Amino acid sequence: MRQILAAAVLLLSGVLYAQQGSLPMPAPRPKQYVTFQADPQELKTGKREVVELRFRVADGYHVNSHTPKSELLIPTALKLEDAAGVKVSSAEYPAGKLYSFSFNPSEKLDVYTSDFIVKLPVVAQAGAHMVTGTLHYQACDNAACYPPRNLPVRIAVTAK
Amino acid sequence: MRRALILGVMVVGIALLLWAGWHNLRERKLAMQKARENQVVLIPDKAGAAEGEDDLAPKMRGKKAPNFTLTNLDGKKVSLADYKGRPVLINFWATWCGPCKVEMPWFEQLRNQYASQGFEILGLADDADAGKDAISKVAQKSGVTYPILLTDADGKVQQSYGGLDVLPMSFYVDRNGVIVEQTAGLGSKDMIEANIKKTIASGTETGVGGL
Repeated sequence: MRQILAAAVLLLSGVLYAQQGSLPMPAPRPKQYVTFQADPQELKTGKREVVELRFRVADGYHVNSHTPKSELLIPTALKLEDAAGVKVSSAEYPAGKLYSFSFNPSEKLDVYTSDFIVKLPVVAQAGAHMVTGTLHYQACDNAACYPPRNLPVRIAVTAK
Repeated sequence: MRRALILGVMVVGIALLLWAGWHNLRERKLAMQKARENQVVLIPDKAGAAEGEDDLAPKMRGKKAPNFTLTNLDGKKVSLADYKGRPVLINFWATWCGPCKVEMPWFEQLRNQYASQGFEILGLADDADAGKDAISKVAQKSGVTYPILLTDADGKVQQSYGGLDVLPMSFYVDRNGVIVEQTAGLGSKDMIEANIKKTIASGTETGVGGL
């Protein structure tokens, strides 16, 4: 009887393993290492207001800040196109965080990771407007770097 | 009689569990296969590739190394074909790539170590926006004396090597012009040396086929 029970337990554990069996799904490599949260902006007509643009760096990656510590590094920079009815001043970038690759702890980089906010002073005329542009950035992970990319940015602005 | 009954119930129960487990696994496999197919169809990344495709997969391994002719830092034309019959490491790097700059002194040392066996390294700067001076400065700072070649802004060479979405990227080309190994990202010095040894050992001295 004991032998039967032991066999049953073994078979049962095999079944449970099969049910929980891991079928690994490779983690997709993002097309963009930074994403933009496009929040619609409601502003007061003709008044200077600061719009906050929220960006997120994909987990496991970092991008250079707007003021990296070496001239060879590519800064994160927002380039906006002129939009009728909206006057945009120079973007204000957050300070970066100090970061070192594990293989080179002596070199300190200045980077953005996870979420970062770029502030944009804006004066808008009454009505709905669309400000478009690109965020230029260059990402790395802990062992490799990825060519510079441009992230399209569209900011819907409504002034009342 | 009672024992036989219990045994029978257990056998039936186990059989049902086994069937349920197998059925569950099969369903999951089918669902995953379908999800993968949808991923390819719905999220096209670029020509010939899909979002989620592993950029680090050694796509060029076993293929003939595409020839190229580029300008070195002295302004002279250099072709891969110039190294026909020799084992060559082609390393794509950039001035803005920290991991790339870690490898370069190792490459220099290993190049000297295996020079007697014909081994050479070509460093291809995948650096469209950096000037020649910046590239030269980084190469000098790294202590590199092997040829540094400037890739064209159109990226044709990079495309011929499968499109480089990650740096550093290295291709180990044997005497016959065949890529015996392809690596992406920073590896260990031991791994690089092992690949160099493999490249030198591969192919024949006569360079059958050429580049």
